[in-house]
Amino acid sequence: MTTNGETARVLVIPCSGIGKVHGLISREATYEITDNLAQANADTMCLALLVMGDEEALSKIRSSHCITIDGCPKYCAQKNVELAGGQVAESIMVAEAFKNHRGAQPGTATKLTEDGWLVVREIAEGLSDRVQDLCGCEGEH
Amino acid sequence: MARKYAILPCNGLDKLQGPLSREVALALVEETGGEIVCPVLLNSARPRYEKILGELPLIIIDGCGTKCASKLAGSLNLKVDRKVLIADEMKTSALTPEDSLSLGPAGLEFAKALATLLAEDMPEEPSADLSADFDSPVEYTSVTHDKFIFRIPAAGFHFNENDCWVRVKGTRARIGVSDYVQQNLTDISYFGPPIVGREIGQFDDAGTVESVKSTMDVISPVSGKIVAVNTALVDNPEIINEDPYEKGWIAELELTDFESDRELLIDGAAYGEIVKKKAAEAQH
Repeated sequence: MTTNGETARVLVIPCSGIGKVHGLISREATYEITDNLAQANADTMCLALLVMGDEEALSKIRSSHCITIDGCPKYCAQKNVELAGGQVAESIMVAEAFKNHRGAQPGTATKLTEDGWLVVREIAEGLSDRVQDLCGCEGEH
Repeated sequence: MARKYAILPCNGLDKLQGPLSREVALALVEETGGEIVCPVLLNSARPRYEKILGELPLIIIDGCGTKCASKLAGSLNLKVDRKVLIADEMKTSALTPEDSLSLGPAGLEFAKALATLLAEDMPEEPSADLSADFDSPVEYTSVTHDKFIFRIPAAGFHFNENDCWVRVKGTRARIGVSDYVQQNLTDISYFGPPIVGREIGQFDDAGTVESVKSTMDVISPVSGKIVAVNTALVDNPEIINEDPYEKGWIAELELTDFESDRELLIDGAAYGEIVKKKAAEAQH
């Protein structure tokens, strides 16, 4: 997608996920992508802003590739982005990521353990590759 | 112990104040045992939070000036007991969180300190055992209209013309709806309780009762602070049909000024006459 002829940045949107460790993982994975791994090509957006129908947020979401990270099978992030007219290019659920880490103890809603941070990094690395694909800048990673 | 609140943070993401609102909310739950309300889930699945929002007063924690949580509460017509704006709290706090969305030690310390401050400022949890004084048996009289018989307590109850009663014991009172209401509504299928901890005025709403026929706001005959609600009615609202004056009580209040409230209330005998008139009008 483009805005004024320039490639738009990819929006990575986690669920609000408050009160559960999977929600915290979705949020931390998002920060890892937007602040570190794909800083040049990815932004995030506050889901509550989108839900409340903020015009600027709606406009931005409709003109960007979106990646959603949901904590649980309610898929709040994916559903609300789609409801707002956004195109979800990639959607992942944190609980699914734990299938490769049976027995892992990720921590609590307020603090992640090393197991939790391991899953954060794994999700973030996979999705930052996807960000580069969507931007057509595969050579940069 | 500080009383419990339903806590609705904005749970924001892309500004520092957002993650702080989330962290303050979680720390407040740890301190007071309240319940978190996720703003996104609330918007898409409100029934999930109906019970919590019915039983607990609501505190809103907004991060930035956009005030998404406040806007959401407004759009859903939620009654808000307290609002906190993190951006304002940051201006007055001696603690300065790091400028990082993923909170560092200073951010966590700020959140913990603010949660402690809020918890200390919350009113005490009302005593759970407030009901003993209301256990004494009630004697009834009745009025009739046509084939209908309406029970009315012989003494000790006051009524307003909105068909709600109050039974006073010292500085405490229980309120509820009359036998006329339960017969008029027929099978009551839903009870919406008022919020414990809320101050209400005389003739303010204090919950709802609903049947397939109609919905009725409970109009409080007295002013005061709600200290308990009859939670048994949430799962079994038919208790109001079975026993509207005793087991079907709606809420218990700490009275503010009963002597003044009393001037606008009537006794059982006068209420009986009103019931007869209403029943006659309903037939025509």
